[in-house]
Amino acid sequence: MNEGISKRIFSINFALLSPEEIRKMSQIKVITADTYDDDGYPIERGLMDLHLGVIEPGLKCATCGGKVDECPGHFGHIELAMPVVHVGFIKEIKTFLDAACGACGHVKLVPERLNEFNAKIKEIEATSNDPDALTVASKKYIEEASSAPICPYCGAHQKKVFLDKPTTFREEQIKITPKEIRERLEKIPNEDLFLFGMNYEVARPEWMVLTVLPVPPINVRPSITLETGERSEDDLTHKLVDIIRISQRLRESRDNGSPQLIIEDLWDLLQFHVTTYFDNQTAGIPPARHRSGRALKTLAQRLKGKEGRFRSNLSGKRVNFSARTVISPEPFLSINEVGVPEKAARELTVPVMVNIFNLENIREIVTHGPEPRDELGRYVPGVNYIIRPDGRRMKVTAQNAEESAKRIEVGWTVERQLMEGDIVLFNRQPSLHRMSMMGHTVRILSGQTFRFNLAVCTPYNADFDGDEMNLHILQKEEARAEARIIMKVQEQIMSPRFGGPIIGGIHDHITSLFLLTHLNPLFTEEETMHILSYVPDPRMPEPVIVGGKKFYHGRSIFSSILPEGLNVKFRSKLCSGAKDRCEYEDAPEDKDVLIIDGKMNTGTIDEAAIGPFSGIIIDKIFRKFGPAEGANFIDRMTRLAVGFISSRGFSTGIADYDIPENAVAQISDISEEVVQKINKVIESYNQGLLESMPGRSLEETLEMEILGLTGQVRDESGKIASAYLGLNNPSVIMARSGARAKMLNISEVAGMVGQQSVRGGRINRGYSGRTLPHFQKGDVGAYARGFVQSSYKKGLEPLEYFFHSIGGREGLVDIAVRTSRSGYMQRRLINAFEDLKVDEKRRVEDTVGSIIQFKYGEDGVDPTKSDHGKTVDMDFIIMDEENEVKQ
Amino acid sequence: MNVILWKDSKKNVEMLVSSAPCLYAVDFDLPEEVPKEGYIASDMKAARYRIAISSAEPLKKQKNVLKKKKEGLKAVFKIDLIQEISPIPLSEFSLPDEGLKTFVITERLSMKITEKDALESFITEEENKLKEKAKQIGIELPYSVIRELTTRVRNLPEKEIKIVLKRVEEAILRKQIDPYEAVGIIAAQSIGEPGTQMTMRTFHFAGVREMNVTLGLPRLIEIVDARRTPSTPSMTIYLKPEFQSSREAVESVIKLVENTALLDVCDIETDTVNMSVSIVPIKNRMAERQITQEDLLNSLSKLKGKSLNIEDTKKSQAIVVKPMQESFKRLYQLQEQLKSLTIKGVPGIKRAMARLEPSKDWVIYTQGSNLRGVLDIDEIDTNRTYTNDISEIYEVLGVEAARNAVFQEALRTLQEQGLEVDQRHLMLVSDMMTFTGQVRAVGRQGISGKKSSVLARAAFEITTKHLLHAGISGEIDPLTGVAENIIVGQPITLGTGSVNLVYRKGN
Repeated sequence: MNEGISKRIFSINFALLSPEEIRKMSQIKVITADTYDDDGYPIERGLMDLHLGVIEPGLKCATCGGKVDECPGHFGHIELAMPVVHVGFIKEIKTFLDAACGACGHVKLVPERLNEFNAKIKEIEATSNDPDALTVASKKYIEEASSAPICPYCGAHQKKVFLDKPTTFREEQIKITPKEIRERLEKIPNEDLFLFGMNYEVARPEWMVLTVLPVPPINVRPSITLETGERSEDDLTHKLVDIIRISQRLRESRDNGSPQLIIEDLWDLLQFHVTTYFDNQTAGIPPARHRSGRALKTLAQRLKGKEGRFRSNLSGKRVNFSARTVISPEPFLSINEVGVPEKAARELTVPVMVNIFNLENIREIVTHGPEPRDELGRYVPGVNYIIRPDGRRMKVTAQNAEESAKRIEVGWTVERQLMEGDIVLFNRQPSLHRMSMMGHTVRILSGQTFRFNLAVCTPYNADFDGDEMNLHILQKEEARAEARIIMKVQEQIMSPRFGGPIIGGIHDHITSLFLLTHLNPLFTEEETMHILSYVPDPRMPEPVIVGGKKFYHGRSIFSSILPEGLNVKFRSKLCSGAKDRCEYEDAPEDKDVLIIDGKMNTGTIDEAAIGPFSGIIIDKIFRKFGPAEGANFIDRMTRLAVGFISSRGFSTGIADYDIPENAVAQISDISEEVVQKINKVIESYNQGLLESMPGRSLEETLEMEILGLTGQVRDESGKIASAYLGLNNPSVIMARSGARAKMLNISEVAGMVGQQSVRGGRINRGYSGRTLPHFQKGDVGAYARGFVQSSYKKGLEPLEYFFHSIGGREGLVDIAVRTSRSGYMQRRLINAFEDLKVDEKRRVEDTVGSIIQFKYGEDGVDPTKSDHGKTVDMDFIIMDEENEVKQ
Repeated sequence: MNVILWKDSKKNVEMLVSSAPCLYAVDFDLPEEVPKEGYIASDMKAARYRIAISSAEPLKKQKNVLKKKKEGLKAVFKIDLIQEISPIPLSEFSLPDEGLKTFVITERLSMKITEKDALESFITEEENKLKEKAKQIGIELPYSVIRELTTRVRNLPEKEIKIVLKRVEEAILRKQIDPYEAVGIIAAQSIGEPGTQMTMRTFHFAGVREMNVTLGLPRLIEIVDARRTPSTPSMTIYLKPEFQSSREAVESVIKLVENTALLDVCDIETDTVNMSVSIVPIKNRMAERQITQEDLLNSLSKLKGKSLNIEDTKKSQAIVVKPMQESFKRLYQLQEQLKSLTIKGVPGIKRAMARLEPSKDWVIYTQGSNLRGVLDIDEIDTNRTYTNDISEIYEVLGVEAARNAVFQEALRTLQEQGLEVDQRHLMLVSDMMTFTGQVRAVGRQGISGKKSSVLARAAFEITTKHLLHAGISGEIDPLTGVAENIIVGQPITLGTGSVNLVYRKGN
């Protein structure tokens, strides 16, 4: 660690390597195609020469003297017997050959045109930051030059150059050898290069034809030793062996005057090997293969794509100080906390600098070794490693603990095990938004899993059916400070997506508080105290005396967790969510929640009040009292909910979907009726009486009619069923309060499943003219096209079951397709927008300095802080103000 | 706004282009009022150059004056700027009956802007009072906020109003976004994350049950891709207030809009023996689309280079068309011409349907879109008529309109799915897509491919191409963006990374 010095790279300049430079940076000229000798020692001047770096422990680099991990590796070079073209620059070479005179090398443009172009370039450089602008501008001029039949400078007649993909050039019928190409390119004067977008300060056209090939360091292409002791070389090494071998043969053949044909064949072979060395997926060339038949992974393949160097090693990196395990729920943790199993905590460490203030303390800790426990056997953080100022690490073991402790001095660093209160990052993939990675404080727990409060499931989109999550331990004070101030869960309660809370009570929390407040039931003192015992430090509710005994209202129990000074008024989901007029329309007592100064007077708590996304109470508390109070409320709310529902008890079963005989009969009646209706429609269609809807064919009209009818009957059966299932039914409670499921699901269980669909229409595929061989050909009736009359509770007929499976599969396919498509869309969005930021004047600019917006979002308001998109929530301000005045 | 328009030779124009700003002597009288802007047409079809004029005076003996003609010069303009523009057809200028003889002072019809009253005049007295009140205690609030507040504080006592005003101001200030916030990433996440919750089902009905429009994730991807044409182009056509409640007017507009091609109502048979094409009308289809024989003949008569004759066959009246010259090439051309012949309606609009809105006004929904064509129809309210084809809006109405179209379409798609996404994110996306003056796609063809950093481009897609090209052109990566700094392993330049804290010892 180089404390005190902060280095920053300000820019990177790209250039082409010239042959001289390749030779200059080379430590050794590689001439032998072999790697190791029989003793397993690198052959001198071979591809594994010690000058190129070391990968085996014990050996020293012949260039820098460094050992493994010290030597970064060094380049070598191969002198190619004959020049070959570089595949990556084929297109460029073609334009050069086209536009420059074959005889004198000048670009075939009169000086005036060239000057005109140069002026244009200057203009573009001054005005545009588009990397392609230059290419686009020069295109016209290049075309003009290419089509010139006679060179305006030397008057030489020009022949057309053809490119035989992938790497051979032909002038009329005669092949141009790479050597000739190189000679031609050499003749092009520096001044003309700008036209091609080439900068002569960093590149020359003839460098695109290779005479020397750099040999990458061994560290880039390490050989691996299998268990059998056999050596296996890297793909690049294999390719380099081929190149050297052919190059040598070519040199020999040339020198001893072999026939031209043989030389040309070898030359082509060398070209093939160099081409595949750069890119083994060049179109028109069979990829070079390994002995096993696997295509070699050469330079381009190493960089490209998702598994390539860029995306998997440079843009994203593997890290230390992280852990991953299964997650499970723990309602007694705060939303800001995460439970870490002891086993993980012993492995994960935080570096602590030793200074004069903590020296004694740290010595004390180290003395207890790597696995200390207190007198009750509880976890106490130990120290795993001691790092000396020179960077040497020493492992602390039970044996050397005391000795190590004594040696510690100021300026050393110790790696302390995780302890309660440390801030860590917790993450679940896919990390779709910033709430997928939040800061938690550590609680050390027994067991094997990470644990957290259920309210935090929503932002992570986690459940406990085997999900795993990652934990990262922050290693620097700056990082810890940022995590604590901006990444902590409580700071992320508000979603930047819509300006509302994304953390809130789920499932049983909602059910529980619904039961607690709906119709404002009374609880005995004993019950109340039991429920409140779950909440730390509650405000005691006001009792009501009935018959000399103390009772407590549900709403006042809920009030005990509300902060003083909170004023809110809203309509509960119970009523706003109902399809038809809700039964509480005239009972403001139950539907309208009114909280004045932290006392809940009327209403029912449900999803609209405390759920994620909607949670109005969470929203208002967060805005008025800040993140800490917001988190505190959620903690207390979830505890209260768990306390109440575990003492009251709540469950649902198949019997909850029982509806009376006559209702069942009624449902089967209307379903029979609709089947008849459908038959009638089909009949009228067959007789040609059906009138088509505008813009639709008759068949489409028929389908739409039938679809409408089946939809109707499902709704009706749902209505009949739910008429017998009131708010005393657990499933209905869950659906109406927003805890889980919709009324539709209940009517599917109790009433009728309804029409199954594929791609928005009835099921119509399968055999020719029918869905299954059980039907007549051409039967388009209800049953033949996937109408499921049964309910889940009654059970599906075999054919219905089959149709239901068809519909279900569509859902699965849909999810599979959607995740990949939306994933790619998000990647593109992120890539396009990642550089935008707001400046001091609240303008949005990109990194080049272009201004995208003059005021962010037209009002400069942060969506996270906005009230569901609105600039200010005036009703809330006014209500607050009024109530404060009253008090 | 008036502009001056005249015709000039290509040579003169080239001279002007190369020497502007300059003085230019013209062969017509000085108009009474000289517009600041002018157009030059090089032929009788379209204006191809725009000029900025800073002054004009009668011709005196002057030096350094470019001349339109050698003789008969009358006035001198000082031309500050001349630029080549995409040709504007002369029909877009309101020309006098005799056409463009020497010059005209005229106006561009498409540029005619009806001025709306300034915002102030919309403000009610009550709102104004509240604004004044706020001013008195030193608070400036946006009008939108004042408007919302007005009705709410109506019944509050004076003292409380002041407190409310203060609190509102505080709230607005508190809610301002933090400098250096990575708003781009937040916007991208806010749109991408709900993408996983959207349906893939492509079709859903728009305003009318009978019509399908792509919605959900496919549509969102389409918008972000800036596709040339949407998979289901569709228009919403509003009528001018005087027509919108009349059914007859709507029906007549539908007839005008709905495109009927010759092939829709006729069979076309090519007779190579007689060198003719016979067009056989299909009666019931004609009736369905309310097309008469005359309509057919009318549209056929507009064709060039053919002779018409109606042949009464027993079955139906066939129209036989012959090319002027008897050659197979001409015959083939004629046949192709006929196939694409529009009898009536706006090309591209396959179907149009009217619907009575809850406001009791008729609105036309169409399948297929042709904004330019539809805007030409007189009965149409050009202010409200809308298409979901963003590139068409860009071409007809310009980038600003296209920016709003991207925003509207994205918002509509998300809202239809019931997903709550803050408008600010969508604004940023649409602004980013359009701020260069073109509609750019989000992806390697558009925004990402045009990044200034080599490393960022290489990390996105087509890695090797970017690296190799950077090599020969000697590109310099300034390492200002996010991706490239992550690649080289240093802090990014957004958020806390863009702030440096320096401790200076002393004092």
